[in-house]
Amino acid sequence: MNMVRRELKANARALVIWSVCMFLCVISGMAKFTAYTSATTTGPSINDLLKSMPTSIKALFGFASFDLATMSGYLALLFIYVELVAAIHAALLGTGIIAKEERDKTAEYLMVKPVSRAAILTSKLVAALINVVVINVVTLVSFLVVVPLYSKGSDASGEILMMTLSMFIVQLIFLSLGTVLAAGMKRSRAAGSVATGILFAAYFIARITDMSDKLRFLNVVSPFKYFDLPRIVAGGGLNPGIVVLSLALVVAFGVLTYVFYQKRDLNI
Amino acid sequence: MNMYLHELRSLRRTTVIWTCAMIAIALVYLSLYPAIYRDGAHFRDMLAGYPASIRAMLGVTLDSITSVLGFYSMIIAFVVLCGGIQAMNLGMSILSEETRERTADFLLVKPVSRAAIVTAKMLAALTVFLITDVTYYAAAAVMAFAVRQSSYSAGLFFMMNLTLLFVQLIFFAIGAVVSVFFDRLRSVLPVSLGTVFGCYVIGALIAASKDDWARFISPFRYFDYPSIISTARYEMPYLATGAAIVIVSIFACYTGYTRKDIHAVS
Repeated sequence: MNMVRRELKANARALVIWSVCMFLCVISGMAKFTAYTSATTTGPSINDLLKSMPTSIKALFGFASFDLATMSGYLALLFIYVELVAAIHAALLGTGIIAKEERDKTAEYLMVKPVSRAAILTSKLVAALINVVVINVVTLVSFLVVVPLYSKGSDASGEILMMTLSMFIVQLIFLSLGTVLAAGMKRSRAAGSVATGILFAAYFIARITDMSDKLRFLNVVSPFKYFDLPRIVAGGGLNPGIVVLSLALVVAFGVLTYVFYQKRDLNI
Repeated sequence: MNMYLHELRSLRRTTVIWTCAMIAIALVYLSLYPAIYRDGAHFRDMLAGYPASIRAMLGVTLDSITSVLGFYSMIIAFVVLCGGIQAMNLGMSILSEETRERTADFLLVKPVSRAAIVTAKMLAALTVFLITDVTYYAAAAVMAFAVRQSSYSAGLFFMMNLTLLFVQLIFFAIGAVVSVFFDRLRSVLPVSLGTVFGCYVIGALIAASKDDWARFISPFRYFDYPSIISTARYEMPYLATGAAIVIVSIFACYTGYTRKDIHAVS
């Protein structure tokens, strides 16, 4: 309990800064919505034209599989960037919270306390989880508050809820990826760079598979594509099978974190 | 000279990784170009059945996207983002490395002035950027030439790639100044990623129109690729701002580092 409280206090300032950033992202993203709607709905013929555009060209213009004129479609586009920011936060949090003991030379102090390594890890993971939930709730509330200001009547709250839920799972995946990397790598300081490297590779792959159908198989590698955004936008909700598989992945990473950390040769 | 070579050697691995990453991005996107061009041509045929005004509007945008240079301007936006992260990371870590790795007293008791130290480190960083950018330019030029569907101006291509170096220098300068004046920097990555991404998101979302004052906030928007393609020159106010940022920051680094209280054990 003590350790959880201590970790939360240590991360408090960063959490506030990231929350404010998420809110600003949502606001500035929505502010651009009116610009988009006026650009894409100049006459019914344009809409048909856009529907008949080949996917690769649409991906270039930026609106691959979504109907940008509707609020839900535009939300999906904005959401991709919001999800990226949240994933970066989760990855840096995961690697940082484990690696910081060795980085700040506080590992020895912590380890001589009469608590098991497993207990230490549990407290850290609980604190990290609370941080991730806070970011997620801030994003959800920002969307729920800002979207009705621009939506001119249509209610997208159901889709917003689904999208933030999927974002939560993606955050968990990157958080646990970060912790397992920091616990497993010999140079735990490098874990942050490796985790963000993997994250950007995953993001990049997600953008590429948007462009070309032939590369669809690569979606397995990128957590950003685990949840089918077009389906959520159409009101289909999350695929329960994917949710279960993702959570299993998170649990697997979590267990590996414990295993690695238990055997770890700490660099004091 | 010694310090310069030492810094270069320690930066060798990360430089290789970043260069490979940037080349990989460009190669993957460029390899998709022929398919995009085909789709674009097909789509333009379909456009023939639509009214002239729509054809004009979409045709122009289509042209700018399916030409090699137009397509490349989207690719280079990503590559410049990568370069910006590399540069900001390097800028923030190169001067504060001594304090973070506890090698400060070793280096500072050597009979070299602090200015000489800063010079060596800056030159090493500049060399890293040059190596990365030249290698990237070579790879991108070869690939772009290989997938071209019509001729394009190599000069314009060079100008577009030169912006990568400019943006890297700007972010490096900002990072170096931040690291000199802000002590107690335990981890470089969150701050550098945050700043670079913040600039990228601001550039994409807020500074969307061409003559916005907000363009000055985000170095990613200092160089507008469509205008470089059409006018074959950089926009002077932004180029001058970038140069000013770099010069002022480097000067600030020298004065700051020379007078700074450096903690041997932070």
